[in-house]
Amino acid sequence: MAVALNPIQIMKSDAEEERSETARLSSFIGAIAVGDLVRSTLGPRGMDKILVSMGRNEGQIEVTNDGATILRNIGVDNPAAKILVDISKTQDDEVGDGTTSVVVLASELLREAEKLVASRLHPQTIISGFRRATDVARQALTETARDNSSDQAKFRQDLIKIAKTTLSSKILSQHKDFFAELTVDAVLRLRGSANLDAIQIIKKTGGTLRDSFLDEGFILEKKIGVNQPKRIENARILIANTPMDTDKIKVFGSKISVESTAKVAELELAEKEKMKAKVQRILKHDINVFINRQLIYNYPEQLFADAGIMAIEHADFDGIERLALVTGGEITSTFDHPELVKLGKCDLVEEVMIGEDRMIRLGGVALGEACTVVLRGATSHILEEAQRSLHDALCVLTQTVKETRTVYGGGCSETLMARAVMEASSRVPGKEALAMESFARSLLAIPIIISDNAGYDSAQLVSELKAAHAEGKITSGLNMEEGTVDCMEAVGITESYQVKRQVLLSASEAAEMILRVDDIIKAAPRQRTADQGQC
Amino acid sequence: MSVQSAKRPSKSEFKDKEKPAQIRGSNIVAAKAVADAIKSSLGPRGMDKMIQDSKGEVTITNDGATILKQMKVLHPAAKMLVELSQAQDAEAGDGTTSVVILAGAMLETSQQLLTKGFHPANISDSLLHFASKAVEVLESMAIPVDLSDNASLLKSANTSLNSKVVHEHSGMLAPMAVDAVLKIVDPAQEKNVDLKDIRIIKKLGETVEDSQLIDGIVFTQKSQGYGGPNKMEKAKIGLIQFCISPPKTDMDNTVLIRDYSAMDRVLREERQYILNITKKIKAAGCNVLLIQKSILRDAVSDLALNLLAKQKIMVIKDIEREDIEFVYKTLGCRPIASLDHFTPEALGTAELAEEIQAGSSKLVKITGVQNPGKTVSILLRGSNKQVLEEADRSLHDALCVIRCLVKKRFLIPGGGAPESELSVKLTKFAHSLKGMDAYCFRAFAESLEVIPGILAENAGLSPISTVTELRNRHAQGETHAGINVRKGSISNIIDENVLQPLLVSTSAITLAAECVRSILKIDDIVNVTRL
Repeated sequence: MAVALNPIQIMKSDAEEERSETARLSSFIGAIAVGDLVRSTLGPRGMDKILVSMGRNEGQIEVTNDGATILRNIGVDNPAAKILVDISKTQDDEVGDGTTSVVVLASELLREAEKLVASRLHPQTIISGFRRATDVARQALTETARDNSSDQAKFRQDLIKIAKTTLSSKILSQHKDFFAELTVDAVLRLRGSANLDAIQIIKKTGGTLRDSFLDEGFILEKKIGVNQPKRIENARILIANTPMDTDKIKVFGSKISVESTAKVAELELAEKEKMKAKVQRILKHDINVFINRQLIYNYPEQLFADAGIMAIEHADFDGIERLALVTGGEITSTFDHPELVKLGKCDLVEEVMIGEDRMIRLGGVALGEACTVVLRGATSHILEEAQRSLHDALCVLTQTVKETRTVYGGGCSETLMARAVMEASSRVPGKEALAMESFARSLLAIPIIISDNAGYDSAQLVSELKAAHAEGKITSGLNMEEGTVDCMEAVGITESYQVKRQVLLSASEAAEMILRVDDIIKAAPRQRTADQGQC
Repeated sequence: MSVQSAKRPSKSEFKDKEKPAQIRGSNIVAAKAVADAIKSSLGPRGMDKMIQDSKGEVTITNDGATILKQMKVLHPAAKMLVELSQAQDAEAGDGTTSVVILAGAMLETSQQLLTKGFHPANISDSLLHFASKAVEVLESMAIPVDLSDNASLLKSANTSLNSKVVHEHSGMLAPMAVDAVLKIVDPAQEKNVDLKDIRIIKKLGETVEDSQLIDGIVFTQKSQGYGGPNKMEKAKIGLIQFCISPPKTDMDNTVLIRDYSAMDRVLREERQYILNITKKIKAAGCNVLLIQKSILRDAVSDLALNLLAKQKIMVIKDIEREDIEFVYKTLGCRPIASLDHFTPEALGTAELAEEIQAGSSKLVKITGVQNPGKTVSILLRGSNKQVLEEADRSLHDALCVIRCLVKKRFLIPGGGAPESELSVKLTKFAHSLKGMDAYCFRAFAESLEVIPGILAENAGLSPISTVTELRNRHAQGETHAGINVRKGSISNIIDENVLQPLLVSTSAITLAAECVRSILKIDDIVNVTRL
C-alpha cells in the first residue's frame, strides 16, 4: 500500500527530466552562452582565444580565432550548446568557413526567440515565422549573388577577394594580399577538382609569415640514402610499400637446423641473394627513384647506390599516398610484372634546404595540380593557426570554384537580408510577422558584433548602414579598416554565396531544432560496479 | 528597430570591457615576468643563471633560449615568449635574450596604450607598421661585409661570445667558429649553412683553451685493443655496414651438434669464416676499419677483433647509423654494406689516424684526409660539465652568427647602438604620422630604449644618464654611438669592434612584434578537455 501512495516513478532514480519552461530556459541559456563565447572572434578585428588543455595533455596551449576549433575543443554538457557545436563542425566540414558566424547567428535567433516566448508566442508560431523569414532571406541573397565564372580574369579577381575576406579575420590578415594570391594559385592549380590532398602544407618554425611560399612541386620531409645521387632529372619513380630488410618466410615459427657453421653462412648468403634478386626485380622497372614506405636496410641501399638510383626510405603513410596521387604512380608491393606497374613521373628530384632542415623536392610532377605551401612563423602556435586559416581559405575557394556565385561581405548581405525580411513581414498578417521581425534583428546582430569587435560605435555605424541600404545603395557594408560605411564592391570585400547560404540555413535549422524542445531527459548514467579484483 | 540597436551595444559593452581586459592584463603581466627573469643576463656584463632541473642536474648558462627552455613556465602567454626565444634561436641562433626583452618592452608599452583606451587591433596594426619601418632603418645603417673579410667575421663572433661564461676564451673560440663555417661553405654560391656539417664533440677534462678545430674527424669511441695498432700513418679507411661475427640468418637457426668432432668442426668453421672476411679486408688494403653498430647481432665478435688486430688493422666500432652520412662525407670513402663491395676504390685515405688520450678516456682522431668533404669537427674541452655545456652553447651561438652573415651579408654595430638609432629615427618618423598610429609609433620607439638601458644597468652604469646621452649622440647624427661596456662610457662602437649581423637584429624585431601582436589579439583563455 505504501508504494501506491508514493508519487509514481517512471524513470530510474538517477535519470533527470526538465520540463517545458525549465527545459526551454536551459536550452536558451546554453545556446546563448556558446554564442557569447565565440562572438568576440567574429570579423576582421575579432580577438583570439587561448585554449589551455586539461587532463592528459595538461598545460598544452593553442591560440586560435577559428570558431570550429574553439568549439570542438571545449567540452559542453548542455544539450542545446552541443547542437551549436555540431553545426559549427558541419559548417567546417561542408564549406570550411563561417564556423563562427553560424553559431553567432543561431544564438542570436534564440536570444530573440526567448523574448518572443516570454511574450507568450507559441514556439511553433515562432518556428513557422522563422521558416518564412529564411525563405525570404535566401531569395534576397540569391538575387544579389553575382556570377563571374564566364570571365576568367574577373573570376580570378573574385577568388582573390574572397580569399582576402576570409583571411582578414585570421592571423594572416596582415599578409592577406600575399596569402590570397598564394591560395588562389594553389586552388586554381587544382583545376576544379576539390581534392585538397594535393595541396600539402609544411610548417617550419623560424622566419616570419611573410617568408612562407608556394612551391610548385611536392616536398617530402625525408632524406636521400647515403652515397646516392642528390639530384635526378626526368625522374621515373617507383612508389612501394615493401619490406626491404629481409623477405622473411612467413611461416609461423620457421626455423632452420643445420649441422655446421658453413651451412649457416651459406644460408646467410642465400638470404642476401634473395634480397639482391628483389632489388634486381625492382631495377627492371627502369626507374631512377625508388621510394619505400618501409625501411631500406644498408645492403639494398648500397645496391641502389651502385645502380645510381635514389632510394628514399620510410616515407610515412600520408606522404606515400599523396606522393602516389601527385606523381600519378601507384603503390606497389610485388615486383614481378614491371610492364603492369604504373610509375610516377616528375621532372626533377632534388635536395633542398628549408629553414634548418634538408628535404626532398619533387618538381614538375605529373599531376600539375599538386603543390606545397611552406609556412614559416615565429612560434608553433602562430604556425598552427596559420595552417588553420589557410585551410579555411582553401576550403572556401574550392567551394567557390564549384559554386561560382559570390555575394558581398562586411555585413552587407546580412543587412540586405534583414531588410527583405522586414519588408516581407509587414505584409504578413498574424503573429508570424513578429517572429520574422525578430529574425531580421538577429541578422542585423552580425554587423553589430563585427563593429563592436573592431572597437567602433556599432549603434552609429549600423544605423548608417541601414540608412544606406534604404537609399538603395545595396552594396554598402562595413569597412573595418576605416570604421566607415562603404561600398563593398569598391573595397573588394566579397564572400562565397555558398558559405553565406549555408550559414543562414544551418543557423535557422539549428535554432528551430532547439526551439522545438520542450523536454530534456538525461538518461541515468550506466552503473559501474566496483572492481572486485577478479578477472 | 531603433530600440534594438540602441539596446544591444549597451549589453555587449558590459560584457566586452571587463573580462577581455583582465585576460589581456594577466597575459601581459605573465609575459613580462618572463622577460624580467632573464633581463639581467643581457650584454657582456650580464649575469648567469643557475638552473636546477627536477632530476637535480645543474645548468649554468647565459643563453636566453636555454634558460627559458629549462624554466618550465606554466602560463600560456609566458609559454609564447619561450617559444619566441626558440624561434629566434632557430632563425638567427643569437639574440635569444634580446628578443624576449624586446617583446617584454613592447608588451609593457601596449599595456600603457590599452589603459589609455586604444583598441588592441589598432595597437597591433601599428606594431606591424613599426616593425617593418624598423627593419628599413636597420638596413639603412648596415655595413656590407665580404665573407673573405676575416677580421669583420671575427669581430662579430667575438661580440656574440663576449657575453658568455667563456668570454675570456673568445680570442680562441671566435676564430674557430669562423674557420669552421668558412670551411664548409662556398661563399660565392651558398646562401645557407647546414650546421649539421659541423660536429661538436665535448670531452670532459683540461680547459676550454685546449679545445681545437680538427680538420678531419674525431670519434669518441676508443680503438679496439687486442694488441692491434692504435696509430696508423697513411691510413686506408673502410666504413662497413656489415658484421664480422659468426653468420646469422634472419630466420631462427640452430646448429645441431651430435658429437665431439662436430663441435670442433663448428668452431673451426667459424674461425675460418671470420678469417676469410678479415683476409678480404686486408687484401683490399684497408688498415683502419670503422664498423656500424648493429642491433640484430654483434657487429664484430671478439674473435674477429683478435684476427683483425693480428693483421694490423685498427678497428673502431659502434658507429651510429645516423652518423654514417657525416663520416663518409668527411673521409671521402663509401659505406660498404657487403663483403663483395669491399674494394680498394671504396676506401678513404688519410695521413694519420691515431688514438689520443683525453682526460680519463680515449679518442680517435683522423686527420689529413685526402679529398675531404665539406665537414669539420670541433673538439671542445672543459674542466667541468657545466663549463663544457656552456662552451658548447656559446660556440653554437657564434657559429650561428657567422651563418647569419652567410645568409645576409651585412653587419651592424652592437652595444645598444641600433636600438638607440631606431628609437631616435622612429620617434622622428612618428611626427610625420597622424592619428593613433602616430601615438603608438612614438610609444614603441621609446620602448626600444630598454635594451641600452638594461645593457648599461648590467654593466653597472647609470641607465638613465647613459640612455639619455646615447639618445643625444644619436640625435646629433652619431649613428654608431653605443655603450662601451669595457670602458664604461659611450663611444663609436665600431672602433671598439663590437659588431653583430644584421639578421640577428632584424629577426629579433620582427619576431618580437609578431609574438606581441598575437598576445594582444587574445581576449579569453578557455580550458578545454583535449587538444
